[in-house]
Amino acid sequence: MEAIKYYVKGAFSGVEQTPEVLEQQEEIIADLVAKVADLVAEGRSEEEAMGLAIGSMGDLSTLVAEFQPLEAAVPAIPRTAVWATRLDLGVVALSAGVGAAVMIGSTALGALVDLVEPGAGFTLLATLGVGGWWVRNAYLRYQADPDAIEVREQEYRTRFRKAVLVWGGTALLATFMNITTYTDFWCWPIWVAGGTWALTVKMEKWLSRRPEFIAPEPHE
Amino acid sequence: MVDTAISSDLIRGHIDTIILGLLSTRDRYGYELCKEVAILSGGEYELKEPTLYSAARRMENQGLIRSYWGEESQGGRRKYYAISPEGTEAYRRNLADWQRARRLIDRLIAGDTGKE
Repeated sequence: MEAIKYYVKGAFSGVEQTPEVLEQQEEIIADLVAKVADLVAEGRSEEEAMGLAIGSMGDLSTLVAEFQPLEAAVPAIPRTAVWATRLDLGVVALSAGVGAAVMIGSTALGALVDLVEPGAGFTLLATLGVGGWWVRNAYLRYQADPDAIEVREQEYRTRFRKAVLVWGGTALLATFMNITTYTDFWCWPIWVAGGTWALTVKMEKWLSRRPEFIAPEPHE
Repeated sequence: MVDTAISSDLIRGHIDTIILGLLSTRDRYGYELCKEVAILSGGEYELKEPTLYSAARRMENQGLIRSYWGEESQGGRRKYYAISPEGTEAYRRNLADWQRARRLIDRLIAGDTGKE
C-alpha cells in the first residue's frame, strides 16, 4: 500500500497539487490496490502482486502532463539586471522633464486665455521646485555609486494601476481645492504633477529594456 | 507484437465508445473498466489505466459521463463513472457510425466493385 502511494505521489510530484490532481492520485491508488487484491487472490505474493500492478500501469507521464506543471502554476516574473542609479536618474529626469513641460505649457496656455489664477504661478514654481529636488537626489545617488547593479522584476502593470489611482485621487483633491477656494485652475500644476508617478513607471519600463541600462547579471 | 500494435491503433479511436458501452450497462470504477475490456477482448487488447483516466477526464468535461466517489473500503475510496443522457446519445450515434463505417470498410477492403 505504501509502495503504491509512493509510486503515484512520485509520478505526480512535478505538478501543482490541486484538488483535481489529488483526486486523480486517489483514484489511481484505489485502482492499484484493487488490482493487487485481484492478483493476490490469483495466488501471487503481495510483493509480486504489487510489482506486477505497478508495472502494468505503464507510463503515467502522458496523464501527468495533462495537469498544470509546478513551475507554470505561479508565473515567474521576468527579472533583469540593470544599472540601478543610472536607470533611476534617467527615469526621474525624463519624467520630471515631461511633467514640467506639460505644467509650464498648460499654465502658460491657461494664462493666455485668462483661465489661470495668479496663484497658479506660485503652485507651478513650488511643484517645479519639488521636481528639481527629485532630480537632484537621483543625480546624487548616481554620483555616489554610478555602477550599482540591481536585479529588478519587470512587473509594471500593478505599479502603474496603483500610480493611476493615486493620480486620480490627487486630481480629485486638486479639483476639490479649486472649487472650495472659488478659483479656477490654480491647482492645475498639482493635477499634472500627480500623474508623474504613473509616468515614471512607463519610463522605467521603456528605459530598462534599452541596452545602455541593462547590466551584466551579478554573481551570487 | 505487430498484431498488438495494429489492434491498438485501430481501437484507439473507439475508446470513448467502448467506455460508454460498458457504462451503459452499469456504473463502474476505473480498474473495473480496464478489467472488463481485457475480458471482452479475450486478452487481445489491454486498455491501460492512464489511457482510461485521460479519456474519462475528457469525456467528463464533455458531459458524456459523470463521476462520483464510492464508499470507503480497504484501499480507499473508489471513483465510479456513470453515463449521462448525452453520453447515451453519443454512444448510440457512435455505434451507428461504426456499423456504417464497418460495412463500408469491408466493401472497400474486399475490393468488391459489384462488377463481374
